[in-house]
Amino acid sequence: MKAEEKYTDAELIEAISAGKDLNDAIRFLYRQHSEAISSFIIHYGGNEQDADDIFQETVVAFIDIVRKGKYRMEATVRTFLASIARNCWFNELKKRGRSDHRDRQFELGRDKDEADVSHHITELEQKRQLRKLVDQLGEACRKVLLLFYYENMSMKEIVSHLPYENEQVVRNKKYKCLQQLTGLIKSNPAIARQMQETLK
Amino acid sequence: MTPEQTHILIDRLDESLSGNPATGPSLEQNPEASQEWQYLHMAVDAIRDAGLYEQVSAVRAALKAEQEGTRVVPFAETSGSASGATVETSEPTGAVVRSIYRRYSLRAAALILVITSSAFLYKYLSISSQSLYDRYYSSFELNTARGAGDEQPIVKAYDAKDWTTVLSLAGTAKSRDNQTDFLAGMADLELKRYDDAITHFEEIIAVNTHAGTDFYQDEAEYYLAISWLARGNVNEAMPILEKIRADAHHQYHEKVAKMSFFDLRLAQYKENK
Repeated sequence: MKAEEKYTDAELIEAISAGKDLNDAIRFLYRQHSEAISSFIIHYGGNEQDADDIFQETVVAFIDIVRKGKYRMEATVRTFLASIARNCWFNELKKRGRSDHRDRQFELGRDKDEADVSHHITELEQKRQLRKLVDQLGEACRKVLLLFYYENMSMKEIVSHLPYENEQVVRNKKYKCLQQLTGLIKSNPAIARQMQETLK
Repeated sequence: MTPEQTHILIDRLDESLSGNPATGPSLEQNPEASQEWQYLHMAVDAIRDAGLYEQVSAVRAALKAEQEGTRVVPFAETSGSASGATVETSEPTGAVVRSIYRRYSLRAAALILVITSSAFLYKYLSISSQSLYDRYYSSFELNTARGAGDEQPIVKAYDAKDWTTVLSLAGTAKSRDNQTDFLAGMADLELKRYDDAITHFEEIIAVNTHAGTDFYQDEAEYYLAISWLARGNVNEAMPILEKIRADAHHQYHEKVAKMSFFDLRLAQYKENK
């Protein structure tokens, strides 16, 4: 088994920003922080599945924030993750209509040194909606788009991974799939409205 | 915008994402192109977010599988240390009793360790995407009024389990609908033509997505996941099964909720090794 990687906060941020060995960084985040955050979620009314899901959302949001250079290291990674998780769970409770009686408890549980991540959290709901739209694409489309835009593979590499005849076929498939996705986005009223407001 | 203009925009986007300066006329002169550009950016962001989510999901599953698979170790360690206390004593009888106790405890612990390790090893070696398919596949029964004389020929053929005729009728159908595609997919699945089955089920999902309908959507999603398992691609099946499990209103939610996700993740872990 591979030796477990250990990072300081600065090393972790550097690893995530550089995009190298991201799996190791994710494993470290899980090993180091999931227990404390899961306990928190369970303490505030969640079950184990909720805790798992919220921590996963937290890790995704954290990596995204770091990659975009928006994590300023004003708070420790632990505090920052806790803030994201807390806000994610708060939003989830709101969605489930269970926030009223928990608001007070929730605010009481807030750490006074906690980082303000509210502006990052507002993006999360939209991301979740967009993720659902990506899931609506057929597997073939998802695969092509993920290999190109997430794995940064070239057309040539994609041909060797997927059962397509040549690079041109993959290129055409990618055009079609990306247009299919923008079509889904345009037909989603909430996202389209948000986009129109951005463009004003 | 025409598809060609959109293709040009996509090429331009790909260039800018790879760090090359964008070429061509300014987008500000064309509001429609500018809006399309924003949507394309949003789509790429969504894909990257979905990719990251999937990667985190895979690591989470692997960690869980590791934890569940190695759960026997702390038990064995605990047993060993409890019985491994110093037996030095001035009372010979007590020492013998403790020595016997220690010996039997160690044997019991070793036996339990061997049994649990063997069970886990057996599970690990025997689990596969195909074995999971064999475990979870059940044929699809059409909900039609038996004996009704106005059944379509393809439905009759499906009820009679005449898979070749189902495929032949689907292939020659003048107009294709989701039911035709679904029955053809199921016939392919019965005949172990998994790639063809996948194509049919994906087609249904794509048609529904495009038309905003949900005819045979739940059935297509479930059997698409089953087809991926049959084909040996648990990585492809997992996101669909996770999605069904998370959706309490999905027609196959209960069926999927009863599946062993530990076994599925174990198979996924083996696939990714």
